[in-house]
Amino acid sequence: MTETQLQFYLAVGAIMFSIGLIGFIVRRNLIVMFLCTELMIQGCAINLIAFSRYHANLAGQAFVMFALVIAAAEASLALGLVILLFREKNTLDADAWREMRG
Amino acid sequence: MQDFFAIQYCWLIPLLPLIGAAVSGFFGARWLKEKSHWPIWIGVGISAIFSIALLVRMMFATPGADGTIQFSHHVYWWIVAGQFKADVGYFFDPLTAVMLCVVCGIGFFICVYSAGYMAGETGYFRFFAYMGLFIFSMTNLVMGSNLIMLYLGWEGVGLCSYLLIGYYYEKPSAREAAKKAFLVNRIGDFGFGLGIMLVFKAFGTIHFYSDSATGVAGVLDLARVAIAHPATHPYQIAALHWIPFLLMLGAFGKSAQFPLYVWLPDAMEGPTPVSALIHAATMVTAGVYMIARCSELFVTNHAAMLTVALIGAFTAIFAATIALRQFDLKKVFAYSTISQLGYMFVGVGLFAPVPAVFHLVTHAFFKALLFLSCGVVMHAMLGHLDMRKMSGLKRVLPWTNWLILAGCLALAGFPLTSGFFSKDEIVDQAHIFNLLIYIAVLAAAFMTAYYTFRLYFRVFQGPLVVPTEPAEAPAHAAADEHGADSGHSSAMDLHGGHDSHHGAEHHNHEPAIMIVPLIVLAIGAIFAGYLNWPAANLGHFLGHSPSFKYGYEMAVNSGVKVEAATFGQVEPAAAGAAAPLIPMSLWIGGAVSVAGILLAAFLHLLDRGLAAELADRMAPVVRVLDAKFWVDEVYQAYIVEPLRTFGQICFAFDRFIIDGLVALVGAIPSITGFIPKTTVQRGYLQGYGAAMVTGMAAVLLFIFSQAILAVVLIGVTSVLLTISIFMNWA
Repeated sequence: MTETQLQFYLAVGAIMFSIGLIGFIVRRNLIVMFLCTELMIQGCAINLIAFSRYHANLAGQAFVMFALVIAAAEASLALGLVILLFREKNTLDADAWREMRG
Repeated sequence: MQDFFAIQYCWLIPLLPLIGAAVSGFFGARWLKEKSHWPIWIGVGISAIFSIALLVRMMFATPGADGTIQFSHHVYWWIVAGQFKADVGYFFDPLTAVMLCVVCGIGFFICVYSAGYMAGETGYFRFFAYMGLFIFSMTNLVMGSNLIMLYLGWEGVGLCSYLLIGYYYEKPSAREAAKKAFLVNRIGDFGFGLGIMLVFKAFGTIHFYSDSATGVAGVLDLARVAIAHPATHPYQIAALHWIPFLLMLGAFGKSAQFPLYVWLPDAMEGPTPVSALIHAATMVTAGVYMIARCSELFVTNHAAMLTVALIGAFTAIFAATIALRQFDLKKVFAYSTISQLGYMFVGVGLFAPVPAVFHLVTHAFFKALLFLSCGVVMHAMLGHLDMRKMSGLKRVLPWTNWLILAGCLALAGFPLTSGFFSKDEIVDQAHIFNLLIYIAVLAAAFMTAYYTFRLYFRVFQGPLVVPTEPAEAPAHAAADEHGADSGHSSAMDLHGGHDSHHGAEHHNHEPAIMIVPLIVLAIGAIFAGYLNWPAANLGHFLGHSPSFKYGYEMAVNSGVKVEAATFGQVEPAAAGAAAPLIPMSLWIGGAVSVAGILLAAFLHLLDRGLAAELADRMAPVVRVLDAKFWVDEVYQAYIVEPLRTFGQICFAFDRFIIDGLVALVGAIPSITGFIPKTTVQRGYLQGYGAAMVTGMAAVLLFIFSQAILAVVLIGVTSVLLTISIFMNWA
C-alpha cells in the first residue's frame, strides 16, 4: 500500500468520523444519535486497518476486532436503554430528558 | 485474705448484673419477654451471695498491723495520661462490705418483688435491664478504689435513675420528673467533679488509699500526712479547705439535701420498686457513703463538717414538715426519705459516721419495705395513692397491714425497732455537739412519728373505704396499671368480696412473689437495730475501715472531743463499763416517737374530724405546708425562667447569627453554580456533545503546539454557544 492509497483510506475514515460527530450534535433522535456514535467508531476502525496494512502489521486489525465486538455489546446495551427511555416518555427526542441536567 | 474466692472474683459483683442487664436488654424484647427478670435475678442473686460471703469473711479476718481490714484488687489500667492514672480497681473494707450487702441484698429482694409488681407491663424487659444496670453502677460506686470509679458509679446510678423515673415516658409528668432529677443532679455533680479535679491538682492522685501492688499513692493517706505536717504541705492544706465543700455539693445533689432536694419527690413518678431501690434504699445514700469514705478529707475541716450537719438537720426538719401535709402515699415517704437522709448527714457531720451508716442500713430496710408496701396498696387500689380515697385497708390487705406496720414502727423510731437504735444514736450525738441541731432532729423525730402513723391510721385503720374507679388516665399511677388486666377486675372483686364475705371471690392482691420479699425486709426493719445493739458489733466492724480509723485519729488530733464509739473505735478506758444498756438519750428519742404516734392516733384514728378541725384552725400554716414552702415555685421563677430566657437568647443567636453565617457560606456554590446552570448545562445533549468535542479539539491543538488556535477555538465556540442560548430562550 502506497502513501497515496493510505491517504484515501484515512480520508474515508475522517469523513465517516465527521459525519458521525456532526450527526451526533445536530440530531435529537436518540436512535440516530446512537447510530452516529457507531459511525464514529467505524471511522476510527478504518483508520486503524489502513495503518495496519500500511505498516504490514496485523496488530491494528486484531485491535479492530476487539473494538467491533465491544461496539456490538455496547449497541445491545444502548438500544435497550433507548427502549426504556422511549417507554418512559413515549418519544425518542433527547430534549425530553432535559430535567436530567446537573 | 487475698486468696478468698469472693475477693479474687470480686469483679464479678458488678459484672454479673451488667451481663444480666445486657441479656435482658438485648434479648428481652423478642425472646425472653415475660421471663426477662431471670437474668437479673440470677446476676443480682449471685452478686448478693458474693457480697454476703465477703462480709462474713471480713468479719472473721484478722486486722492488719495498723488495725484496719482492707485490701484492693486491681483489674486493669483504665485511663493513664501523664501524671493522671485511674484503674478499674476495687477496694474493700468493712464499709464497702456493708454497703455491698445493702445494695445487692436489698436490691435482690426488690428485683424479686418487681417481677410481681411489673407483671404485664409493656417494656417489662426494659425495666429489668435498667435495674441490672443500676446494680452494676451502684456496686462500682461503693467498690471503686479511686474517685474516678466512684464518679463512674455516681453518674451511672444517676443515668439509671433518669431512665427509670422516665420509665412511663408516655406521661409528660414522668418525662418532666426524669429531666428534673437529671438536671438538679448536674448541679451537684458539677461541684463533685470540680472537687475531684482539685483533689488531683493538690495531691496528684485520685486513688483512695496507697496500694503497693500498683504503686499508686492514696489521696486519703496523703491528706493524713499533709494534716500531720502542715508546714511542709501548704498547698495541700489550702486545698483541703475547699475540697470538702465541693465534694459535699455532689453529696447534697445525689442524696437530695436542701437546696437540691426538689428532684426526689418528683422522682416518685417512676415505678414503685424503683422508688424503693434507687430513691430510698441505695442511690440516695451514695452521698453519705462518699463523705464517710472520704472522712480523712472532711474531719479536720470543722467548717465543712458543721455545714454538712446543719444542712442535714435543716433538711431533716424541713422535709418532715412538708411530709405532714402530703396525701400521696409515695410523696409522704419521699419527703420522709429526704428527712431521714438529713439525719445521716447530721451523723457524718457531727463526727458520727458509724451511727450514720447504721441508720443508712436500717433505713434501707424499712424504707424499702414501706415503698414496696405502697406498691401493693397501689395495685390493689387501682393505681390510687391518695390517702383521702382509702381507709381501713387492713380488712382487704391483711398481710400488707402487718408489714407496713413494721415499717412504720421502724421509721417512727418506736422503741426496740431498728429505727429507734439507729436514729437515736444520731440524735444522741447531736445532743453532745450542738443544741440547735439536737432540737431540730428531735422535732423532726416527733414529726416523723406523727406523719408515719397519720398515714398508717388513715389508710389501714378505720372504716373500709376503697376507690371504685381506676385512677384517671393522666393521674399519678394510671400507667402503673397499664396492661395489667387484673388491676381493673380486682376493683370490683374487692367490693363484691367485702359485701358478700366470699373470700374465694377475692382476687389475690397479695401474691407471694410480692409478699415474701416484704417479709424478709420486715424482719430486717424490726431486727436490723440489733446489729449495733447492745454490743455495737456493726460499729466495731466498721471501725476496722481505714476511713473510720484514720478519720477518728485525725478528728481527735484536730481538737474535737470525739467519742471513739462513733467511729467504731474501742474506748481508751474500759468500754461500756458504766454505760447503761439503753442510754438516756435513747429513752428520750423513744418517748418523742411514742408521743408522735399517740398524737397521730388521736387525730387520725380516734376522731378524724379533729384533724380537719385542727387544720382549719391553723389555716395559714397549712397553706404554707401544702405549698411545700413554695420552693419549686421560687426555683421556677428565679432560676428556671431566667435560665430559660438566657437559653432562648442563645438559641436565637445560634439560629440567626451562627446559622446565618453557615447558610451564607453554603449559598456561595449555588450562586456561582447559577451561571453554568443557565448557560452550558441546560440539559440539551447536543450542547454537551459539542462542548466535549470542542474541548477535545482544543486539547489536541494544544498538544500539537497550536495553543493560540486552541484559545481561538474555545472563544469562538463560547460565543456561538452564547448566541444559541439566547436564541433558544426566544
